[in-house]
Amino acid sequence: MNYHAFLLWWSRTFTMTIKELKQLIRDPVLLLIIAYFFTIDVYMAGSGINLSLRNASIMAIDHDHSPASRELIYRFRPPYFDFKGDISGKNEAEERLNKGQILAVLDIPENFQRHLLQGQAETVQFQVDTSNTVLGTLATTYAMQITADFGRDFVGKQTGLNSDTMEALPVIQNRYRVLYNPNRIDSWFMSIMELLTVITMLSMMLPAAAAVREKERGTIEQLAVSPLSSLQILLPKVISMGLVILFGVAVCLFLIIIPLFHLPVKGSISLFFAVTALYVFTASGIGLFIATISQSLGQVTMLVILLMMPILLLSGAWAPPETMPHAMYLAMTVSPLYYYNEMTYAILLKGAGIDILWDSILELSGLGVVFFNFGIWHFRRQF
Amino acid sequence: MNFTRIWAVTYKEWREIFRDRLFFIMAFVLPIGIFLVVGFGISFDVEKITFAVLDQDNTAMSRDFLHRFIDSRYFDYKGHVQSEREFDPLLADSNIRFAIIIPPRFEEQLLSGQATSVQSLIDGVFPYRAEVAKGYVTAIIANFNTQSLAEYLARKRGISKGQAIAQVSPLRLESRYLYNQALRSQWSISSGLMMLVLMVAPPFLTALGVVREKENGSIYNIYASTISRSEFILGKLLPYLLISCLNILILWWLVMHVFGTPFKGHPFFYYIASIIYVLCTSGVGLVVSLLVRTQVAAVMLTIVLSFVPAMLYSGLLVPVDSMGRETQIEAHLFPTLYYLRITWGSFLKGLGWTELWFDVAILLSYALILWGIGFLNFHKRPAE
Amino acid sequence: MGEASLVDKQAVINITGFCKRYKKKLAVNAVDLTIQRGEIYGLIGPDGAGKSSLMKAIAGVLSFEQGTLDVLGVTIDSEASAEKIKGRLGFMPQGLGLNLYGDLSVEENIDFFAQLREVQPEQLDQRKDKLLGMTRLDKFRERPMKNLSGGMKQKLGLICTLIHQPELVILDEPTTGVDPVSRRDFWAILAELLQEHNITALVSTAYMDEAARFNRLSLMYNGQILAAGTPDAISQQAKGCLIELTAEPQLEALKQLKIHYLQIETIGSRIRVFADNTSVNAGVKTVTDLLAGVKIKTIRAFDAALEDSFIALLRQRPLTDQTQKDNSIPRFDKPLPDDKSIAIEAKQLTRDFGKFRSVDHINFSVKQGEIFGLLGANGAGKTTAIKMLTGILPPSEGEGQVAGADMRKAGQLIKERIGYMSQAFSLYLDLTVMENIRLFASIYGVDRKTLKQRIDWVINIAGLAEVIGQLAGSLPMGIRQRLALGCALIHQPGVLFLDEPTSGVDPIGRRQFWDILVHLARVEQVAILVTTHYMTEAEHCDHLVLMYAGRVIADDTPTTMIESLQNEAGQLLEITTDKPLQALTLLEKENFKGVALFGKHIHLLALDVKRVKKQISELLTKHSIKLLEITAQTPTLEDVFVYRVLALENKELT
Repeated sequence: MNYHAFLLWWSRTFTMTIKELKQLIRDPVLLLIIAYFFTIDVYMAGSGINLSLRNASIMAIDHDHSPASRELIYRFRPPYFDFKGDISGKNEAEERLNKGQILAVLDIPENFQRHLLQGQAETVQFQVDTSNTVLGTLATTYAMQITADFGRDFVGKQTGLNSDTMEALPVIQNRYRVLYNPNRIDSWFMSIMELLTVITMLSMMLPAAAAVREKERGTIEQLAVSPLSSLQILLPKVISMGLVILFGVAVCLFLIIIPLFHLPVKGSISLFFAVTALYVFTASGIGLFIATISQSLGQVTMLVILLMMPILLLSGAWAPPETMPHAMYLAMTVSPLYYYNEMTYAILLKGAGIDILWDSILELSGLGVVFFNFGIWHFRRQF
Repeated sequence: MNFTRIWAVTYKEWREIFRDRLFFIMAFVLPIGIFLVVGFGISFDVEKITFAVLDQDNTAMSRDFLHRFIDSRYFDYKGHVQSEREFDPLLADSNIRFAIIIPPRFEEQLLSGQATSVQSLIDGVFPYRAEVAKGYVTAIIANFNTQSLAEYLARKRGISKGQAIAQVSPLRLESRYLYNQALRSQWSISSGLMMLVLMVAPPFLTALGVVREKENGSIYNIYASTISRSEFILGKLLPYLLISCLNILILWWLVMHVFGTPFKGHPFFYYIASIIYVLCTSGVGLVVSLLVRTQVAAVMLTIVLSFVPAMLYSGLLVPVDSMGRETQIEAHLFPTLYYLRITWGSFLKGLGWTELWFDVAILLSYALILWGIGFLNFHKRPAE
Repeated sequence: MGEASLVDKQAVINITGFCKRYKKKLAVNAVDLTIQRGEIYGLIGPDGAGKSSLMKAIAGVLSFEQGTLDVLGVTIDSEASAEKIKGRLGFMPQGLGLNLYGDLSVEENIDFFAQLREVQPEQLDQRKDKLLGMTRLDKFRERPMKNLSGGMKQKLGLICTLIHQPELVILDEPTTGVDPVSRRDFWAILAELLQEHNITALVSTAYMDEAARFNRLSLMYNGQILAAGTPDAISQQAKGCLIELTAEPQLEALKQLKIHYLQIETIGSRIRVFADNTSVNAGVKTVTDLLAGVKIKTIRAFDAALEDSFIALLRQRPLTDQTQKDNSIPRFDKPLPDDKSIAIEAKQLTRDFGKFRSVDHINFSVKQGEIFGLLGANGAGKTTAIKMLTGILPPSEGEGQVAGADMRKAGQLIKERIGYMSQAFSLYLDLTVMENIRLFASIYGVDRKTLKQRIDWVINIAGLAEVIGQLAGSLPMGIRQRLALGCALIHQPGVLFLDEPTSGVDPIGRRQFWDILVHLARVEQVAILVTTHYMTEAEHCDHLVLMYAGRVIADDTPTTMIESLQNEAGQLLEITTDKPLQALTLLEKENFKGVALFGKHIHLLALDVKRVKKQISELLTKHSIKLLEITAQTPTLEDVFVYRVLALENKELT
């Protein structure tokens, strides 16, 4: 290609890109939808979804009515638990658990205090509703710690085994550190997760919508008889919508996630944007394929939703890859979101750099080239 | 009510659905697809936590301690490293999610009756997993401590091992897991997904079915004929309701046989309640379809009105108790919450009319209100 | 009894002071209209004239703001009152086959409408058989609607609308986008059905040349009724006459006439002038006197046709911009192509889609400076031919040259050298006029030095100076069409392809458009290839090719085509009787050629005019039908088209 032809190529691509942006600006409904997803939607997900145990309702069947049993019950208090009162017996417990009024029932046996004081090992029963396993698991974990601590503290007066004296005994103390998110703030994970979902959806949807709109309005015919190549028709849609998405990501990151959820950005923001651009390019390849097989915007939307589901759930965000069945794990390796998801958390929360992520970047680029070429090739074939 | 006319619309709609490939996909493949993918794709079982070890002691006791992790089904051993610095890239690249460091003189200190400490590093990106992983680590260490401490005390104080254990760990909590003994998250998620899928698919179908007719102009056949508003709405939605009723059964079967979730409740009760719920969600679609003119707008509005409450306010992912007060009130405004109670109640708890009649009544009133709005807003002589 | 007959005589539709408003836009403004029982009443006007709004309101499917509306004796003022008439009327909305269900078969579509309208099963079977037979759709009962041709969809739509035998049918632009043969078929069926059950019909169309199909009609423009009455009466409302002449040199004649007349049109080698307030004889004299120094070859004058009257009315009223713009069209800044060299050539061009042969060894050539028309029914292969010539679709066989480049090898080169405008006026409606022009300038690689000059040129040639900053979507169809043409001309191509370029455009806009095309061909030597369903447009072409089933079946100038039809089938006789429909059945039975009903008149073709005239008059007298008038006319291009296509169709059937 000589210099002049190259210049012409770029000037055409550039004009087409500007055209796409202008068309988008004149579509207030679509703009509003995009704005909604990058702001309110991400905010709602970040502030709404919360997988920790807070104020779980609990009641007790106290057969002992001793200071010790009251003391134990007292320890089931916020933030994890919320003690709602005593109940008479098993039947009432069952009824309340069935109705979902309470999450768990603590059952303290008779002679609870006496047995403890006598140095006998004692057991309390904890009936927990595990129809929601997340809650059930967490409630059990916390309840175990609370009872164990109480037991040791209560009898420590006689046995001399309390927190102070433990130092002098042969025990392993667990000094744990939760990395990257020491206070376990759910909103960091959830808001980023939702942002990735939004990016995925829009990267498929917007270029596909722009392409199918030309079909619906008949302008594609006009472009087909013009000197533009398929690549020149499609690439500007990807570039322009990519720019819009990157802008949206910036808005979301700097106006929502960082200021409202106090996300500390550990890594390089520019690396994150570079990886995002790469991902948008990859996902738009799928979008162009969708545009080729759809005749209307309605069909595009349906197909986007249809494809979004597996892409999202195979991303490793909702279930870590190592726990997946083998077939699903193999499917994950061709899901671009799997790489992007991992890199995003690595860059933003873990501070990873290109030295660690280069292999994922290469893999995502490979997928990008394949997907995009497939989209273009398919589009060209329809004439 | 004229049944010929209702039947005309129903029969036409039915044949269109079965001939339009994309619509057929929407009707059957999409709900089942979403269901399977989400069912398999979301897992709250924290298992196979990948981890690596830095053993600076390398003695029999340190190896014995580590084996408690390596042998656990909750952990997945990935190897030893030589220095703490090696953990950083492994953790950053998500190759491991947990690391444990055993200090020098680990065995020596324990044998000499001194306390020692191990350091564990947990990837906290997904806080729930970090929390549960922390629980596992604590439990393994506590277990190890109880044994070693009991042995030490028995030797030192000359008491029996049983007494020593009673001193070390005087109080134990015995958990009884109700409704889901194996703590399988797939049981709760797969049954809970009935709520999600039946919230999303029926309104999509109904909204698109009505809007499609509006968009291409064939709605004028209806406007210009003698069919009454209620006849049209009924005839139009009947096929979609039938599809949804069929989908209930398919999903139900999948929940039980693909995900192995038991059904403990009353099948008849649950089916009726599910149909009422589908009436409710189809009503959302009906209302959406009357508000908008294009298929795209219908899809977008349906997502906002159905997906969001199903995901955020139903109690499937976020327990209602854990929500703030205002959010709790909002959650009670959506039908998803009530149906999720019915679903979990029926599948896992074995409940029926007596316990759940109130939730069913609420769903029924939702359905009536939504269909009423739909009926009142459908005009055969619109202004544009 | 007396009262009942009184009610019967009442108007079927009675409208006074009707107004319909969409937000701020007034769509229909103070319309009065009365339609009698048994009439075929026409609403004619361009897109956006308010026809659809008016028809929807009458059908009771659209509310309105002002005026009174009585339909079938019921005053329509609420949703409930509208319901009362719905059982007695049929409504077919605009858009070919859009109200039908694409995935359902022909029969299933009919069954749906019948069930919806509660037609009894026995009646349904009987009516269905009859209607399917009449429309010749019975062979396609099982075919899904979406696989029907345009003409068939339209006929199916008609069946579905009539299946419950309504008293009143409202058909919104049923003939848009349909070829002449199907259209003629459609009108014949409609007329027969209406007559049989004394049904009243309100039909709209955007095409003036369909006016003769109606008993009475209203011309609509900008939400108002411009004129109403019988077609003849409307023609006479515009005072003046039409003068047609051929002169040498044509351009000089045009230039001189434009000084004196506002309404001038060139059709091939002919010039047509509308002379206001002039009688036929005086008109010829005035024009002859004006054209001193120009050689007049032929000249004649006659009463204006409806389209000319429509434009004249708009001018005389004055509802349109009186001052016609200075028509000095700017020149190309590029050198002219070689005079009379070949611009487009197709040799044995063929295209197959699977087993189906869409284009079958076609041959034709177009010279520079020629306006070339490609005609054919829906599905005859025109679009495929154009796609191959513009380089979008590779041919299965054969070769072609476009703008000096080989179609098989140099697709890209062709794309750079041609201009293309599709029927949808493929513009970006959400971009402004200027943005559209700039976009196409860049796509066609207009370099920066000539850009400004070229944009000015486009604005001038398409007359867009006043709308430059407006969104394309807000423009009326006529201006949109010129903008699309301007965009197609931005690189000053030597060859221009126009695919049904004038659908939905008002007559004034259409004329301005053709003025530009004629200029481009005559002055700039641009070769123009046009496809159209409208034969009044085909008349503008220098050369025509008629396609049928993928083959070229006629290839000649319009005049020669008409002449050869005259030689083969004779003159066109227009017969006026007091009972047109009975006469029609009678004449059809006697095997006259090309019998067709046009409103109250019957057309047929006759070689021996004298003999046939006598034959007809005897025949009619025998059946006590009064022959009012019988005149011989020159057949039109539409007659040529219908005659040729039907001849082949019949041959295939036997």
